[in-house]
Amino acid sequence: MKRARGVAIAFGHSVLSCTAVMLILATAVFLALRLLPGDPAALVLGDESSAQDRAVLRAKLGLDASLPVQYAYFLRGLLTFDFGESIRKPGIMAGARVASALLPTTELAVIGVAFGAVFGITAALLANGPWLGAKKRWVNRVLVMVAATPLLALAPTLTFALAVRTHLLPLPGDPDAGLSGLLFAGSLLGLPLGAHAGRIGAAALSDIADKPFLRVARAKGASHLSVWLRHALPCVMGPLVTVLGTQLGALLGGAVVIERLFERKGLGTLMIEAYFTRDLPVLEASICASGLLFVVTQAIAGALHAAVDPRVRA
Amino acid sequence: MSEGTHVTRMRIVRLAPLVLLVFVSLVLTLASPQRPETLDPSAAWAPPSAAHWLGAGEGGSDLMLVVAHATLRGSLLALCVSLLGAAVGVPVGALAAMMRGRAEAWVSRTCDLLQAFPSFLFAITVLAAVRSPTRVHLGIAFALTAWVPFARLALAETRVLRSQSFIEASRALGATQARLLGHHVLPNLMSTIAVQLGATAAAIVVGEAALAFVGLASSDRVSLGCILDQGVASMLRAPTVLLVGALSVFALSSSMMLAGRAADR
Repeated sequence: MKRARGVAIAFGHSVLSCTAVMLILATAVFLALRLLPGDPAALVLGDESSAQDRAVLRAKLGLDASLPVQYAYFLRGLLTFDFGESIRKPGIMAGARVASALLPTTELAVIGVAFGAVFGITAALLANGPWLGAKKRWVNRVLVMVAATPLLALAPTLTFALAVRTHLLPLPGDPDAGLSGLLFAGSLLGLPLGAHAGRIGAAALSDIADKPFLRVARAKGASHLSVWLRHALPCVMGPLVTVLGTQLGALLGGAVVIERLFERKGLGTLMIEAYFTRDLPVLEASICASGLLFVVTQAIAGALHAAVDPRVRA
Repeated sequence: MSEGTHVTRMRIVRLAPLVLLVFVSLVLTLASPQRPETLDPSAAWAPPSAAHWLGAGEGGSDLMLVVAHATLRGSLLALCVSLLGAAVGVPVGALAAMMRGRAEAWVSRTCDLLQAFPSFLFAITVLAAVRSPTRVHLGIAFALTAWVPFARLALAETRVLRSQSFIEASRALGATQARLLGHHVLPNLMSTIAVQLGATAAAIVVGEAALAFVGLASSDRVSLGCILDQGVASMLRAPTVLLVGALSVFALSSSMMLAGRAADR
């Protein structure tokens, strides 16, 4: 009962801060397109467009109302996720275009997080457990190197090595790639995440490595695997979940890069496309959707942290 | 060998990669009469040779020259933005911690909120308002979030410092808040701030390249991300382009991170 209440309170806190983040991001999009110099209608239609055409577009986008009224409409749109019609694909709502792009990106992100968690936890265990002997120092060195390498440099190089040189994996943009292509892209996305999680996890595990409770478990006959997995790992789940949660912003940025690299459809590709074609409703909707994806996962990470670690619950 | 020379040697070793990288780029840009935009279609996608040491990219642009220019412009952007971030963030954080109470709570909460902010998304949001972003626009987009880690760090460090006896003593002797900050708190923050400067500069180098990679390059289109973009398109024909791009991003970002740690012991 107390546990459930603690989790609920932690969840409430994260919902509050998530709403704030969402509001800041949405307001930033709103203001960027309206307050900064330059007429959005001219951005969309080009400099040669007639004043009349621009006026029609402004009316359609609701840009002719006063700023507070526009903001009120915008917030209402945000709540119902109704940003109006796409400019470049008339008849299709911006929200619908974003919704169809959301699935591929979510797939990618879920695979990335799952791979990152497995990779990070395995590395953290190997860096502290008895399995590698003296070689376990190398685990940390490799983790530091992977974490220091930007995804932007790592992903193309690995793709070149694995897909172009050795043909182990399908080439980026290969329409027949299917599942293996998705798994490859997702695991590339999860690699830096896993390295960060691994470093934090390894440090946290080495803090508790000499604690008596682990020796007691060992003395009672538990195997090494059981000591580390069942007794040590739960103690460091908190920091691990937090790292995975805080790295999500980087993950979303990484998703844009990975989608571009693998020519995959998704939120990132849509955002960039909307940017270049000046499809303002779609741009607003896709940025807000990414923000939403970000804050929701953040909240889940916060709640998970509270669920596994009683110390976080107030 | 005394402790002092060891530390000095360590610092030189940590600064060396960045200094070398910038120096070589500077020499290359100054020595070559060509501009990075110069094209030589007959050499398009050429592998490394005596004429083009790193090979040639799309339209026959000399990759070495493009990398040199992009490295210089990228480091300058990263340096300006991270220094600006430190100049704003450190005083905000340190002052908030010295004032305690409500100011401290507010700054702390704002930093927590913005820390988790997807800064890449934020940059795209800000850039949405301009037609073709210049480097100044990119700088503004990054600067809007770059101050946050500095404020957070200064806040945390000052919280430790503020209750130490030398600060108490100075306060008892009648030092003003400004003097406490300037003479006692800020000098003690410097080495931590330097590490963060390196990390932020590296993040901006990577962020700028990533934006250029997905198509949001500054209008001169001289960026490490543009080389990577060409490299991905020509992965089968001219793999050197991709490797050159990836290696230069790695070299610049990791040497910046290392240089930041030069002030650390």
